[in-house]
Amino acid sequence: MDFLFSYIALAEVYVLLGLSTNLLVGIAGIFSVSQAAVFGVGAYIVAQCLMTETMGFVPAMLVASLACIALNVLVTLPSLRVSGDYFVVTSFGIQLLATAVFINWTQGTGGANGLPGIPPPDLFGFALESNLHLVMLTTVAVALGCLAFRLIMRAPFGRLLRAIREDELAVAAAGKGVLQAKVSAAALAGAFAGSAGGLYATFLSFIDPVSFDLDASILLLTMVVVGGARTLAGSIIGPFLLLALPQVLTFIDIPTTIAASARQLIYGVLLIAFMLFRPQGLAGEKL
Amino acid sequence: MSTAYLQASGVEVRFGGLLALRDCSFTVDRGRITCLVGPNGAGKTTIFNVITGFLKPNEGSVAFQGKSLDGLTPQAIVATGIARTFQNLRLFVDLSALDNVLVALPAQAGEEPIGAIFRPWHVAGAQKRRREEALATLEHVGLADRAHEFVRNLSYGEQKLLTVARVLATGAELLLLDEPASGLSAGALEGIMALLRRLQSEGKTLLVVEHNTRVVQQIADEVLFLHQGHLMATGSPASIISDPALAEIYFGGAI
Amino acid sequence: MLALQLLVNGLVTGSALGLVAISFSLIYSTTKIFHVAHAGVYTMAGYVAWSLASRGAPDIVTLAVTVAASMAMGAFIQHQLYARLERRRATPLVVLIASLGALAVMQNVIAAIYSPNILQFPVPWGSKMVVLGGVRLTWTQILTVIASLAAYGATIWFFHRTILGKQIRAVASNPFLAEITRLYPQRVYVIVVAIGSAIVALPGILVPLDLGLQPYSGVTPLLTATIAMIAGGIGSITGSFVIAIGIAVLQNLSLLVIPGEWSIGITFFIFVIFMLFRPTGLFAAAR
Repeated sequence: MDFLFSYIALAEVYVLLGLSTNLLVGIAGIFSVSQAAVFGVGAYIVAQCLMTETMGFVPAMLVASLACIALNVLVTLPSLRVSGDYFVVTSFGIQLLATAVFINWTQGTGGANGLPGIPPPDLFGFALESNLHLVMLTTVAVALGCLAFRLIMRAPFGRLLRAIREDELAVAAAGKGVLQAKVSAAALAGAFAGSAGGLYATFLSFIDPVSFDLDASILLLTMVVVGGARTLAGSIIGPFLLLALPQVLTFIDIPTTIAASARQLIYGVLLIAFMLFRPQGLAGEKL
Repeated sequence: MSTAYLQASGVEVRFGGLLALRDCSFTVDRGRITCLVGPNGAGKTTIFNVITGFLKPNEGSVAFQGKSLDGLTPQAIVATGIARTFQNLRLFVDLSALDNVLVALPAQAGEEPIGAIFRPWHVAGAQKRRREEALATLEHVGLADRAHEFVRNLSYGEQKLLTVARVLATGAELLLLDEPASGLSAGALEGIMALLRRLQSEGKTLLVVEHNTRVVQQIADEVLFLHQGHLMATGSPASIISDPALAEIYFGGAI
Repeated sequence: MLALQLLVNGLVTGSALGLVAISFSLIYSTTKIFHVAHAGVYTMAGYVAWSLASRGAPDIVTLAVTVAASMAMGAFIQHQLYARLERRRATPLVVLIASLGALAVMQNVIAAIYSPNILQFPVPWGSKMVVLGGVRLTWTQILTVIASLAAYGATIWFFHRTILGKQIRAVASNPFLAEITRLYPQRVYVIVVAIGSAIVALPGILVPLDLGLQPYSGVTPLLTATIAMIAGGIGSITGSFVIAIGIAVLQNLSLLVIPGEWSIGITFFIFVIFMLFRPTGLFAAAR
């Protein structure tokens, strides 16, 4: 039972990340391999706030979200100034830079060894320690995230983002601010990724740089690609399927030394296969 | 001297070594249909790009209702009441006809994420009224029964009408239409000419790039003849079309 | 003295990096594809060479086979992946994701076969030192500079003096025009990616001779090379080469004041500066 709970809670954290990545990549059409970095910033901030007892869980989540909003907006800005391809460079750069910070800034992040012993989340003075409570927390968070995503997609803002993905120039000619819309999408993606980070840190009570590196970003992209762009269903299916993959791999007898590479290899194959044969993913719209 | 409705003065645009517009000056009068003609490469689309803020001229300026448009973004220029179509349409093909119009409606509730998330009922209510508005616009151009169709399923003629609907939705008073009649069948041609005249009668001002001399003769109040990025002649359609020197440039240079 | 040594080290790394930048720039300016998988080709070249060298193959055979293998891999990716996507009218975002997938596949196949650990080349002469005016250089480093300059010269000659080179430049500047003059862009693209892959095989072998091989070490050089390409002006071979050397020199000199693990930060800082002040690059018109 505990195993199932932790699978669900983890998958739910990744659903939030999937929504975040979907907003950027699927909806606004901004290529990103740095969402794991933003996720990591959220995780480290919440971890530090709780470990140093600076503040409680809820304000820490707020701080993390705000920081990640700022970070994502900052990261996205160069892409708005110049051609889209340059953003690939920005995105890779931010991811590698963040990994360097996570590994080398030992004081703040515990370096490569990570941060152990992160206290459980507390809500209004009540510590959530059992896995059941934690699952309830992540479920509520994901439900809120999904609701927000749905409201956005149905509102004029969602329509504007879809239009921007198709033709930025035509949107500008219709008198709409492309820049503001993209920055808003990036900010929203930052808020989602930041809160996912906070949930992740408190749920696992241990974080290290490996969870937030380039491979993790590729995993996030794979989730959106497999699930499908621009739909709620796609953002939910992707994480649940891909997080089950390591469990499936344990049934096949793969030496533990290459298990990580095998997993990443499968992500790569999935990315290529879906782009070639099913760009709409399992339950989404065409990328 | 009274100020012109739209006034371009001494506009110059260079692309590398190429002079796309040179000392280009003209005026457009309020409430009239002005046609912009000239051989390919005369700079007709370039002048559209300058007026709508997609291109910064190297020299010269454009003023609308006495106010300079220099340095304004395309977004700000639409807000002053000028909107354009594109020669290659640039519709949002994966959206419905209705959504294409809705995108262009100004100042909507829920157009930014905070409103969309935190005031869902307000947004939904406003959306309902906005849909009525958009449907009315579609009806105006004769596309009401195609509102929920995806753009890619519309005929070319219907797509052209939709570009006009999208421009109307912005609420602009001065409409810049880039070849609204090209590539249309005879029937669709009559339809779009009737629509343009109707828009004029409703008080809109139209600046139209057009190749078809028959269309120009039928709809234009005033013709601007552009050649090699310079305004060569201006006058009534009859006087421009009957000028043998201009015909030589137009037909001799076109092919 | 240390500064001089670092300057020379920078020139050496920079010349190798310059080849990565040239090769990427060639591919990008012709095909307009942001060929992230190029980092995989770069990494693969090192491992192919290592396999041959450790089995006692003569150096010249190792070089020839490695270059041929890289060309084949590059051509394969263009012909089997990018061209297929192009025929399906895939958006640039889709092509980019597929390219990222190809990178993940290559890196992880390598990691699964050779293990993710660092491998050293079995070349005894490579680490022998020469002291020139107080600066210590290995034979590998000297070879790197000579080979890079030679390859740079050859590339310039090829694109300005040969018919095929001129045809490629014609396709790069206007694919549509080239098509009606029967230059078949898709065929030219395959050739260009093959040539780019041949060029990148050189630094792919030379850099690990000095620093050893790792499956995931291709991304940082590629990122730096793309920054050099953008800063040098897209399409300018000389621009990319010179700026790559400049970046490497700055990186090495920065070691005087900043620890080495932050060098990615220096690279990225240079990129941001260029983005803000000269997004078209220094050598933009120098094609």
